[in-house]
Amino acid sequence: MTTTLSGLRKKFEQVGYICDESTALTVYLALDLKKPLLIEGAPGVGKTEMGKVLAEILETELIRLQCYEGLDETKALYEWNYQRQLLRIQMNRNLEDEQIREEDLFSSDYLLERPLLKAIQAEKPVVLLIDEVDKCDPEFEAFLFEVLSDFQVSIPELGTVAAKNIPVVVLTSNNERELSDGLKRRCLYLYLDFPEVEKEVEIIKAKVPGIGDRLAWETARVVARLRKKQDLRKKPSIAETLDWARALVALNRNRLDGKLVADTLNLVLKTHADQQYFKREIGPEGVEKILKNTEDGGDICRCQ
Amino acid sequence: MPVSIKDILPESRESRLEENIATFVDMLRREGLPLGTTEMIDALKALGRVDLANRSEFKAALQTTLVKSYRDQAIFSRMFDHFFVPQEEHQRKSETAASYRQQLENLINQADSELQFKGESLQLSEKELQQYSSLSQQQRDSLQDFLQKTETGKNVESRFRPLLETVVKSHLRYCRTKKSSEQESFHNADGSGAGSFAGSEDQGLREKDIEAIRAADMPAAEQLLQKLSRKLAVKILRRRRTGPRSGTLDLRRSMRENMRFGGIIFKLKHKPKRRSKQQILLLCDVSASMKQYSTFVLHFLLGLQEVVRNLTCFSFSDDVENLTPGLKGRKDLQHILDRVIRQSQNWGGGTNLGRALSEMARKYPDLINAKTTVIVVSDTKTVSLDRSLKELEKLNERVKRVIWLNPLPLDQWPDYRSVNAISEIVEMWPCSTIGQLEEVLTGRL
Ligand SMILES: Nc1ncnc2c1ncn2[C@@H]1O[C@H](COP(=O)(O)OP(=O)(O)OP(=O)(O)O)[C@@H](O)[C@H]1O
Ligand SMILES: [Mg+2]
Repeated sequence: MTTTLSGLRKKFEQVGYICDESTALTVYLALDLKKPLLIEGAPGVGKTEMGKVLAEILETELIRLQCYEGLDETKALYEWNYQRQLLRIQMNRNLEDEQIREEDLFSSDYLLERPLLKAIQAEKPVVLLIDEVDKCDPEFEAFLFEVLSDFQVSIPELGTVAAKNIPVVVLTSNNERELSDGLKRRCLYLYLDFPEVEKEVEIIKAKVPGIGDRLAWETARVVARLRKKQDLRKKPSIAETLDWARALVALNRNRLDGKLVADTLNLVLKTHADQQYFKREIGPEGVEKILKNTEDGGDICRCQ
Repeated sequence: MPVSIKDILPESRESRLEENIATFVDMLRREGLPLGTTEMIDALKALGRVDLANRSEFKAALQTTLVKSYRDQAIFSRMFDHFFVPQEEHQRKSETAASYRQQLENLINQADSELQFKGESLQLSEKELQQYSSLSQQQRDSLQDFLQKTETGKNVESRFRPLLETVVKSHLRYCRTKKSSEQESFHNADGSGAGSFAGSEDQGLREKDIEAIRAADMPAAEQLLQKLSRKLAVKILRRRRTGPRSGTLDLRRSMRENMRFGGIIFKLKHKPKRRSKQQILLLCDVSASMKQYSTFVLHFLLGLQEVVRNLTCFSFSDDVENLTPGLKGRKDLQHILDRVIRQSQNWGGGTNLGRALSEMARKYPDLINAKTTVIVVSDTKTVSLDRSLKELEKLNERVKRVIWLNPLPLDQWPDYRSVNAISEIVEMWPCSTIGQLEEVLTGRL
């Protein structure tokens, strides 16, 4: 997995993941130093996408561990295959002669690998995406910390299982709670912010085929401006920008105007309260103003 | 005066980079970033992989290794811009520094001319002269006044000079300590410096009595210790058989129990109730007899703290003190360490376990319940042993488990009645060497 920084940048471009220099550098360092990468940031800025994209870039399997409250080792690490064990016991009963031993039942044949074990056991280094790690319980986080320190786990019935290959680990968090210092210490850290207008235009163009320059710019600018409103409950994410842009293309539009924004608002602002806020505080006139105003990086002249 | 200005000039890169990074990390620590040796090593490694002449790459490499939360990014950015100054600016600032040095020289000369005895300068160091010039006008006047009066007094000979010098020096020293105690927070930011990168796999260390570990071995021993205590915590909190709901079927155990019935699930085994709010209560004996183990105790605690969220920590001698509020801050290890020692004013007193336990139960009833694991670190030497045993029994009944770690060397255990009596109530493990602690962990705990 020897990549250069410029090689990595190129690959990001190829797979349509648009990021700035320092993001690319951080990922490069994480790969090169073989450290887990912890990504934090607002919803929808491309944290999970990073894990997926890395698997694509490195041409390897993506193993995803989705965290949630109550996640425990039987879901994350391994579980015994009880059905198979039962079958085995019953088959054995018919044979009469041989007494079945406990070791036979609790052997690797009956082990169900969950994501962590799978990632550690894989024949080739995989990308292990531990998504939304802030949602799991602190106890599980502590356990994860140990796994990420040693890349080995102990299974009481089988003994210690060491990693065949150290996976590329990406952890994401939405800051629902602060992670432990220990876990953070293991990782390189990347904070993903909403992209600059220029970058979001690039993302739109990469993800929405057939969109014109002008519409891409105007969409990105309106979204960027909406994100600046502190009173919004949920700021529009990149996913919402993309949904919106796709819808506008489907509607055969090649530019935005106040009315069009108001009519398609529910694609960008998802909560009722935010839509009310828009009607009250911005409205179609406000949008027109945003579109005319070129100071925030949206240089209309750059579009044909 | 501004913080000394450093730069990463390409030609002097090799020799100064590490030093600069160490200083920079230190500055960030003072700003409250929880940085340890790991981060620093990572930073240096990362710098080895980027183009150092490219300022934004340089910055990004440091940022991703040193800053682990959104909140700290602004601090980092500010400090970075302040510390790593571009070359032209560096030039400008060093000119400022030169003129500052010139000013300083003038001040020193001035001081020298003011502090004279019978027309001759006193033998004072440059530093002392500088201190003198930083005194208030009033203070300077009074010193001059003192010299003058002595000079004009009766029977004053030049052999008085050394005495006078001593007086002036001690006065200056007094002014200095007064000043520095006012800005004490500046002092203890040294933390684990670049020297303590030693690997932690030193076998010899494991066998040594913890109190006998030499200062030179300390960093490695500390790392080992912290690692072990983390492992201990994970072991205590690790959830293996618990499911999302209470009393769900535990197939693993059912399977085991029913093998002999030929695969007919005969006896159902249920999972115990989920213990979501597991917590660890750490009780550290900080009485005089434990003093020699204090480093052990603190590093043990720091290791725990790194992974355990619901950690409450008390120090006790004849009373208890909750250390947890002090541990909440995101300060660097060394800071916590210093603070804990300072905060636990009762460090050095005698132990009264019984009183400490009953005080704790009275003040913090919420902490003591069936989800709590209590770890006591103590050599068991306590006054009023009988009452202590009663209190310990009470505690033991109310919590999930009490684990007693005894740093007293094993061969001394038989000498103490308290060891015997206490180990009859709760499980007691030796931990006078790191190896023993490791055994506890890999063993039956
Ligand atoms: N830099 C990017 N380049 C291209 N597409 C992106 C980028 N960032 C985000 N996207 C798009 O936005 C969508 C949402 O991203 P993703 O699901 O990764 O967000 P997230 O940060 O994980 O959000 P959440 O916190 O809600 O899980 C992705 O499906 C992807 O198509
Ligand atoms: Mg996500």
